[in-house]
Amino acid sequence: MGRMTFVIQRLLMLVPVAVGVTIVVFFMIHLIPGDPARTILGIHATPQRIAILHKQWGLDRPLVSQYWLFMDRLLHGNLGQSLYYGTSAGAVIFERIPPTLWLIVYSAVLAVIISVPLATIAATRKDAVRDHVVRAVPLIGLGMPPFWVGILLVYALAIKVRAFPVSGYGTGFLGHVHAMFLPALTVAIALAPVVIRALRASMLNVLGAEYITTARSKGVPPSRLFLRHVLRNAVIPAVTVLGINIGFLIGGTVIIENIFAIPGIGQLMINSIFQRDFPVVQGVTLVFGVLVVLVNLLADLSYAALDPRVRFDR
Amino acid sequence: MRGGDLVIARTADSQSMNATTVFDNESIWIFEQIYQTLYTVTSDGKSVRPLLATGYKVSPDNKTYTFTLRPGVEFSNGKPMTSADVKFSIDQNRKAAQGWGYIDTAIKSVEAPTPSTVVIHLKYPWAPLLADLSLFANGIVPNNYGGETASEFYKHPIGTGPFKWGYWHKGSALKLLRNTHYWEKGKPYLNSVTWTNVGNDNTRELQLKGGQAQIDEFPAWSTVSSLKSTAGVNMHLFNSTRTDYLAFNELRKPFQDVHVRRAISLAINRSALVKAVLFGNGEPANSFMPPQVPFYQKSTPGLQYDLAAAKAEMAKSSVPHGFTTTILIAAGTSDARTIATILQSELKPLGIKLNIKQEDPNTAFSDEQNLKYDMTLTYWTMDIADPDELVTFSVDPKSGAKSFFTAYDNPQVVKDAHLAERTLSTSKRQELYNYMQDHAASDAFMAFLYYSPYAYATTSNVHGFFVTPLGNYHVEDVWLSK
Repeated sequence: MGRMTFVIQRLLMLVPVAVGVTIVVFFMIHLIPGDPARTILGIHATPQRIAILHKQWGLDRPLVSQYWLFMDRLLHGNLGQSLYYGTSAGAVIFERIPPTLWLIVYSAVLAVIISVPLATIAATRKDAVRDHVVRAVPLIGLGMPPFWVGILLVYALAIKVRAFPVSGYGTGFLGHVHAMFLPALTVAIALAPVVIRALRASMLNVLGAEYITTARSKGVPPSRLFLRHVLRNAVIPAVTVLGINIGFLIGGTVIIENIFAIPGIGQLMINSIFQRDFPVVQGVTLVFGVLVVLVNLLADLSYAALDPRVRFDR
Repeated sequence: MRGGDLVIARTADSQSMNATTVFDNESIWIFEQIYQTLYTVTSDGKSVRPLLATGYKVSPDNKTYTFTLRPGVEFSNGKPMTSADVKFSIDQNRKAAQGWGYIDTAIKSVEAPTPSTVVIHLKYPWAPLLADLSLFANGIVPNNYGGETASEFYKHPIGTGPFKWGYWHKGSALKLLRNTHYWEKGKPYLNSVTWTNVGNDNTRELQLKGGQAQIDEFPAWSTVSSLKSTAGVNMHLFNSTRTDYLAFNELRKPFQDVHVRRAISLAINRSALVKAVLFGNGEPANSFMPPQVPFYQKSTPGLQYDLAAAKAEMAKSSVPHGFTTTILIAAGTSDARTIATILQSELKPLGIKLNIKQEDPNTAFSDEQNLKYDMTLTYWTMDIADPDELVTFSVDPKSGAKSFFTAYDNPQVVKDAHLAERTLSTSKRQELYNYMQDHAASDAFMAFLYYSPYAYATTSNVHGFFVTPLGNYHVEDVWLSK
């Protein structure tokens, strides 16, 4: 099977995933108690006002008919109107995706920057003091709740030193790099221990392989040996671990978004559930589903980029 | 110093800029900087003063008001404001059945006989008219939305206020810019004002300390004391009309029994609640009307903590040995959880076993409004400088709110509430409101818990920031020093 066929097949898998997600989410959000009209009207909700809004939003129709209307709109690329904001749900959602993607990608990059040198330090001297230190110390990061790590970083680097803003998303590319450093570092600190352990274990396996001994005996310089032979082969399991964790992160950044006031999709999801903003909840979930499938696809494709022996056969 | 961008870190996002249909404060406090009304509330929250009108004359039958408009007022697009704009704006609000239209129900018609004169005909004499016209929903927008549809217009609204539309990144930030056509000479002082959404209390405080925001909206009560002593920070506690209540559902037994309601009211130590929830920053409530409302009666005998009297009331009730009941609260609100836990222990001596039921806020709200609860916690803040809206909402079971969703029904109180609307004599109105407050307190249709202030923390370079008891603030008065 060629790479293109593999990619197309995986992309086609998005269709059942998306349909499944829409069915589950649509009926779950509509079946739980609560009413978006009451969110909008607050203490001023009266049966008359609620009825006017229900009619305006089509919520007075049978549930199945509402679902077909949602699917019909979706097939035309329309996620409907946000009940809370009264504007396009798609526009509300897509405005919130970039901050979350920034956070995830930036965190992954920082996690790699932290993990590769530390795993190398540990693997190249197995069972030495530095190996034990590298294996133990990052676990503290894993054990500490991210909201606490985040606050500590803010106190140290934003309030005391004032090197970074306390929170926010920033404007422009460099503004994002600057403003998102502390939240991304917070996530990376939680992510790095898992990646370090996976990378260290696979490095130890590779270092014991015969082709490494052969390469050494041929006089390959240590730096070249490490980069071309050890790291490239050892990184594949770590990519898998990172990919899975990023999948979790897509839906799990809400706490970091809350602490750092990042206007991301996790915050939007939580607020929309509380407000019973059905079209936005449905849209965000759909985006989550698609992103998770795409991240896994990217992880699979990266195997082949890293290791030419990997084929796309089933 | 003139200029600068003021950043206000707020708890939640706005919903819409359509002043006639939205009820959330986070929208109201923004569009009050854009749209202005004929009259506006005074800084003590108890009266009104002219804004876009300079004065009015009333007919002998008190049913026709002729307003003179302030000369030289322009919209932010440079076009002059005329009576046609005023007529259109008030008529739009009257049509807003799902919104604030009810506030204008006494209005029969609006006329614009000359560009600087507006005539309002009433169906009957209506005491709260000026207060009603001061409500943001009667804010003036261009006639016919300047040729746009309502939905297009409200995406970038235009008004006569000190600020004009900048941008709104939903969920993130909303920015308004100085209106260079503003009629009040020299104002506003700021170039712009930005409201950022920072839901986390701690993050808002850190933004203030880190200089990223100049105003922290509603810091947590637990931090008020430390913020008071933080260098570079001014902690403000503005008088507010917020009143918190414990509501009883009179459709459920045994809350039809006045003795039960009185017993519970008497068993609540309000000072303890103020200490535990507000960290001392509040006052026990004695009336369902807050002190910052006109016609509030200081001597209203709202029931206060008296355990012996509470036990005596229980003994006279239909359940002298107590009963089991439930308090419904919204999950995730720590204040509600604290109050419910205190009530659990305070009602024990009366033989009342109180279960706490937590639901997600939307569900809890639905259940409260559908009267699917035994007891619940609720609150009120005033929208207008007249008690009429609160009183009708609270004591009229036939109003949309079914007596604050309690089903309380005292026919004499209901009658007086509507009589007070049409009584123009201030002294006669005071008498009527005194009677209503006395009887509402005696009937204990809700336990009036406490009055709390509006808490805002600002950096020390912010000047002129003031919040009225109704929650409004005038950003045109704010300036930043270096």
